[in-house]
Amino acid sequence: MKERFATGFDPFVIPFLIGMGFVLAYCAYGILRILFQLSREDRRRFLLSLVTPATALKNIWDIFCNCLLHVKLWKRNRLLGFMHSSIAFGWFMLILLGHVETVLFVPHRINLFYYPIFFNYFVAETDATLRGAALFFLMDFFLLLILVGIALAIIKRVRSRWFGMRRTTRPSFLDTIGLYSLWAIFPLRLLAESFTAHISGGSFLTIPMNWIFRQFFGNNLYMLPCWWAYSIALCVFMCVLPFTRYMHIPAEMMLIPLRNAGLRIRHPRKGFARVEVLSCPGCGVCIDACPMSADKANLKDCTVYLNRQIRRGNERRIREISDKCLLCGKCEELCQVGVEGPALRIAQREMRQYAVEPDYAAVDMAALREAASGSKVLYFAGCMTQLTPAVGKAFESLMHKAGVAYTWMDREGGLCCGRPMLVAGRRDAAQKLIDRNTELILSSGADTLVLSCPICYRIFTEAYHLPGVRVVHYSRYLQGLVLLGRLKLEKSDICYVYHDPCELGRGCGIYAEPRKLLGQAAMIAEAPQTKGESICCGGSLGSISLDFAAREAITRHALENLYASHADAIATACPLCLATFSRYANRPVRDLAEIIDRSSV
Amino acid sequence: MKEKVLIIGGGIAGMEAARQLQALGCSPLLVEKEHGLGGHVARWHKLFPDMLSAESLVTELEAGLSGVTVYRHTEVKSINRLKDSYSVKLSNGENLVVRAVLLATGFRLFEAAKKEEYGYGVYDHVVTNADLEAWMNGFPDERMPEAPRAVGFVHCVGSRDIKAGNSQCSKVCCMTAVKQAIEMRERYPQAEVYCFYMDLRLFGKKYEDFYIGAQRDFGIHFIRGRVSEVGETIDGRVQVKAEDTLLGKPVKVILDLLVLMSGMVCNPSASALAPQLRLEIDSDGFLRSRDNVAGILESGRPGIFYAGACTGTKTVPETLAEARAAALRIYQYLQA
Amino acid sequence: MKDFGFTLSPSSAVSLDKVDSRLWHKLLETSPDAAVCISCGSCSASCPAARWSGMSIRKVLLALQRGQSVAPMLSCCMLCGKCTMVCPRGINTRKLILALCRICEKP
Repeated sequence: MKERFATGFDPFVIPFLIGMGFVLAYCAYGILRILFQLSREDRRRFLLSLVTPATALKNIWDIFCNCLLHVKLWKRNRLLGFMHSSIAFGWFMLILLGHVETVLFVPHRINLFYYPIFFNYFVAETDATLRGAALFFLMDFFLLLILVGIALAIIKRVRSRWFGMRRTTRPSFLDTIGLYSLWAIFPLRLLAESFTAHISGGSFLTIPMNWIFRQFFGNNLYMLPCWWAYSIALCVFMCVLPFTRYMHIPAEMMLIPLRNAGLRIRHPRKGFARVEVLSCPGCGVCIDACPMSADKANLKDCTVYLNRQIRRGNERRIREISDKCLLCGKCEELCQVGVEGPALRIAQREMRQYAVEPDYAAVDMAALREAASGSKVLYFAGCMTQLTPAVGKAFESLMHKAGVAYTWMDREGGLCCGRPMLVAGRRDAAQKLIDRNTELILSSGADTLVLSCPICYRIFTEAYHLPGVRVVHYSRYLQGLVLLGRLKLEKSDICYVYHDPCELGRGCGIYAEPRKLLGQAAMIAEAPQTKGESICCGGSLGSISLDFAAREAITRHALENLYASHADAIATACPLCLATFSRYANRPVRDLAEIIDRSSV
Repeated sequence: MKEKVLIIGGGIAGMEAARQLQALGCSPLLVEKEHGLGGHVARWHKLFPDMLSAESLVTELEAGLSGVTVYRHTEVKSINRLKDSYSVKLSNGENLVVRAVLLATGFRLFEAAKKEEYGYGVYDHVVTNADLEAWMNGFPDERMPEAPRAVGFVHCVGSRDIKAGNSQCSKVCCMTAVKQAIEMRERYPQAEVYCFYMDLRLFGKKYEDFYIGAQRDFGIHFIRGRVSEVGETIDGRVQVKAEDTLLGKPVKVILDLLVLMSGMVCNPSASALAPQLRLEIDSDGFLRSRDNVAGILESGRPGIFYAGACTGTKTVPETLAEARAAALRIYQYLQA
Repeated sequence: MKDFGFTLSPSSAVSLDKVDSRLWHKLLETSPDAAVCISCGSCSASCPAARWSGMSIRKVLLALQRGQSVAPMLSCCMLCGKCTMVCPRGINTRKLILALCRICEKP
């Protein structure tokens, strides 16, 4: 091993240094800014989490798995997983091995930023030793891995369908520059290292290439220009990085510790939200996931475009996109980075100023208090269930059969649970409703609150504080009655496909209970897209601006998915899904309670 | 040789057209998917505005069918156009070649259960207008209360309702509701009868007289407000919520019987035949006529004609008049 | 219970020539479907807030077209979406209420 230059410097490293310096400065400034934007309490929590060994380890593990290996993506789509992890992990290994080489062979150069990157240019005959040969072999191996990844990426640009993606985003101008410079970096590195391989040494990839090149070019004339080109490609990539979607690389590394510290979106644009927006890699998985994209409509209203518009500060489009969304949460479920599409939108809605403030002073609390009193078990049906009497009636019949004394607190109409108000971005108004309902429930003396509407269930579990009251979804409650032997079910031979309501499934993580209960009363079939990937019925209260006509295509699309299970009928556990599906379905749509009631003896 | 004309649908339009074509010297072939002729009218009790017995109308029309080939329990499997005629395959295996086809497929009653909030099929005392007529015809119905103290009629169930997929007015239900309200009041003089309407569309001859009679002689309560929610009391009665829009206040009433005035939608068998014959479907879901002024009977395809409720909601007299006009139109077509 | 129903007395007669319908037209810019209301009353009948407040989208739309004040009614809305569900004309009432809450002058 010999060093080629006593100075350890060549002008071609300057572009790289500029790029690197810029991107590091930008990220350092960014991190400080985000930290500054966090509330005092959040900041303390975050910094504390960084020095807590458990969370610190989890951070490193998560960054390794998600940012480098793309484990989540692997699970979903192996080809895409391989493509991304080969580039990310391969590049990481190149940088790591570069540092290892520098430390091993020229430890006095380790303080030079560029040395590990351009190691092959500055040294000679490194592969003479076994250690050197092994490292060079690894370097060539990871370079090959990246090149395969880049090749796949180029193919994906042209033929995204081969990768299981129907639609992808259209990159902006700067994104394109970032993309092309990223694609250029590694082939240029291969060329540069190949041209230098007869001096520095190389391995299975670079030495044969060097041999071929020498047959044609025969001299070292092309060596330096290649290193220059490589350095310039790096410079271009790093200089445009903050303004392109590739910002997700550093941002995600920030997002993971912030999330692990338990932080949530508190401001629509600053702090945690800002990191989430920057973490969006623009892959476009959310375009295919978005139920609004049925019939090729609303293609520019999914989360990836929200993130893009927030970065651009296009207020009109941000408002449009945030208001339209159904908040079904499928984009979040499928997002590899974990961008919270719905929460981000609700935060945008919260920015709105209203001249008319809600005022519930006139509510006749005495009447409602009386309606809620009388038993240990309370049933809160919610507003929507008033419009789907089949649900309430079936639940009543089941409680009667099981001999449970209970009170239907909003039988004659009650207060809204607050979730519709909350998702519309009016947190204070929602809180007023929450406070009033809390008062009603606590003053009733009940110890169990049963809910059948997932919209209510979600806010009751997330935002209500009801000490001493067990808040339970009716699927779990009825299962309990079955286990106690108070309800006896006979399995019918009707085959149902269970539709997971967004608020219940993705919203509350309840997938197994309704299926377990349904399985005792009827046969179950599964739709192709089910559980976390279930398609919103289109009736969601989450959307503010989507009008009735625009929702039809969404409903029909969701129904097609359910029909594909070849079930006789559709089962769901949400009054809104029930009413929405019944409108267009070509087979019966029934609520879980109805089915259980029919099967109970 | 007599020219053969296929008539699809043995309701009042099909029967009347068959009778007229027979009289004009053609050879009508009437296809009916059910056993009995007369369609919806055969199941009806009394017909407004003269309170004529529906049964007697159907009997009279059926009597005029002597000499007409009637295929009962039969459906049209497929129709193919030949040079100047149509080749028809029936579900009983027969193949026919006819010169002209008359679609008299009529309507289907809107499925009231689709309006979840009205609780049809959920509550014990909620019926449709058709159920009520069948009951008046003597078919027992356990949903009918013994001695009702209050009866309500909900107008526009599945009509003028974008959510139900029908934005059009079914036009006969207002008058039917007034008629049925009077009939219920006659049967149960002690019962209060309520009609919940959005707009009362009583356009036909003598309809307004019925309205006046309902108000003055029968004391029927007309409430301008669409029922939006139906509940059930502990003792199984029906509780209806609406807004009295003229008073501007929500109203509630407990009833022993709620009658839903289901509207008309196009018969699905007509929609199924349409693509085979390349017939167009109009925005209201019914078959599209050449125009809606002078060409209602014309399909736009040679030799295919329409009569009755397959092109839109019609009253009985309108349907019969259209059937006669269609017979004449087909006769002219065959002469040409 | 508050009452926002109309009373007809000579002093409160609405002169259509002088009606201030600016708010109504402003609303139509963002929610053109407000114009297709047929005043069937479904929304008011199913409204859970109507019990104690007299809230009625039907009245709000009518009042706007006649230049009357609507803000007190709007403040009772819980945005539950029942009115949107029952509207036979498919009017997006929630969007409309939110839009009105924004553009209304303070009561």
